[in-house]
Amino acid sequence: MNVRPFSPDVIFSSIPVLLPFLLVTLEVGISSILLGSCLGFLLAWAKTAGRPWIRGAAEIYTYTIRCTPSIVLLFVVFYGIPRLWESWFGVDMNDWSRSVFVVITFTLLFGGYISEVFRAAWQAVGTEQTEAAVSVGLSERQAFFHIVLPQAAVVALPNFGNSVINLLKESALAYTIGLIDLIGKGNLMIAQNFGAYGIEIYIACLLIYWGMNIMIEKIFFSVETYLSKGNPAGRT
Amino acid sequence: MELNTDFMIQTFSLLAKGLPVTLGLTALSLFLSAGPAFWIALRRMQRKGAGARAAGLYVSFIRGTPMILQILLMYSLLPSALNIFVKSAGIPLNVFDQVNPFWYACVIFTLNTAALLSEVFRSAILSIPSGQMEAGLSVGLTRWQTYRKIILPQAMSVAVPSICNITVNLIKGTSLAFLMGVKDILAVAKIQASYGYNYIEAYLDVFLVYIILCTVIQLFFRYAEKMAGHYRTAQ
Repeated sequence: MNVRPFSPDVIFSSIPVLLPFLLVTLEVGISSILLGSCLGFLLAWAKTAGRPWIRGAAEIYTYTIRCTPSIVLLFVVFYGIPRLWESWFGVDMNDWSRSVFVVITFTLLFGGYISEVFRAAWQAVGTEQTEAAVSVGLSERQAFFHIVLPQAAVVALPNFGNSVINLLKESALAYTIGLIDLIGKGNLMIAQNFGAYGIEIYIACLLIYWGMNIMIEKIFFSVETYLSKGNPAGRT
Repeated sequence: MELNTDFMIQTFSLLAKGLPVTLGLTALSLFLSAGPAFWIALRRMQRKGAGARAAGLYVSFIRGTPMILQILLMYSLLPSALNIFVKSAGIPLNVFDQVNPFWYACVIFTLNTAALLSEVFRSAILSIPSGQMEAGLSVGLTRWQTYRKIILPQAMSVAVPSICNITVNLIKGTSLAFLMGVKDILAVAKIQASYGYNYIEAYLDVFLVYIILCTVIQLFFRYAEKMAGHYRTAQ
């Protein structure tokens, strides 16, 4: 049996074809991050300030999400929500874009993960900060937005960056429900070659992801150094 | 929406067939990756030289790329590589029929876990003050003895919570092995679901199984943390 030799030039020739589809990956990822941050914010608020049953519900939600493989959640959302929707509202969701289901799934996931980061950051800023702000005449809301939030944001940033990178890695699963993102396109290209050049095309995808994540890491690191410049004692 | 509860209960007990595969894959990968992870951690702590740079690159690559892509790549690479090796060694083995994909999955998860675990080991070892090593050397222990008897026991108790995280993530990650044809929990559920298009019920079952599994693992590690940290209370 002859084995086709490994051809590195295919890696480089397929990168330009694949790159436009990174936009789909990023679109889905960024929407999930934005929506998930809102959800995480609500959850963190529920865990710190809410009534016992709200707090309990938020804790159970986070625990469940932490225990769920993302591919299982993706499948539950992809098969479950259209059926739920149809029986409640009589709307047929089956021809909706796959990206809707991907965004729902990863919003649920990211919200659960990030709520812990937000909560920890929130609690790292001591209550005396709020008390001091209120004592000089700010309202509770002003104290939160002008005093607590800016400090908590700096604390949360490194973990937030990690979570963003993790989310982008997990959202690579989107191709399993048929979204044509970076990997989806890669698989299509392999199918067009009748299964040839699989290794080369996957390496190209890996390189794109690697480059992207290193870049994101650098960006978060420089934002972090910029934001903590007012704090010479230095949280790292 | 009506769920087929009979099907759910029936499938739930069938999922037990996939449980040994999921647990075995997790345990074997963890066990096999511990040694390499420790070696990578030591290389990375040297900071200089080609070994340190290669180890750093490896960890960065594994952490910077999606697990699913690593699986896709290795699953197209490993069988053909093994085939070439087997052919050239003259072993009468048909790789594509006779090798259980479980072993490919095992290689992939071991490679992945080794990188993640090495970061945990490294930060745990670095968290032990260098005075401990100096004290060990000053009373006549060798470097290796100090590592084994003084540094590692302390570092392990620091590392237990992170190892728990890695285990939970690994057991969640093994659900991707069904893409390679490994008959784990998710694969069993998928097969059951395909008979009557009961996908949502089957996946909800898997969801429940994973919550139970992760709860058990976390309880186990909470106990392990107490055990590993027992020297602290002896003070």
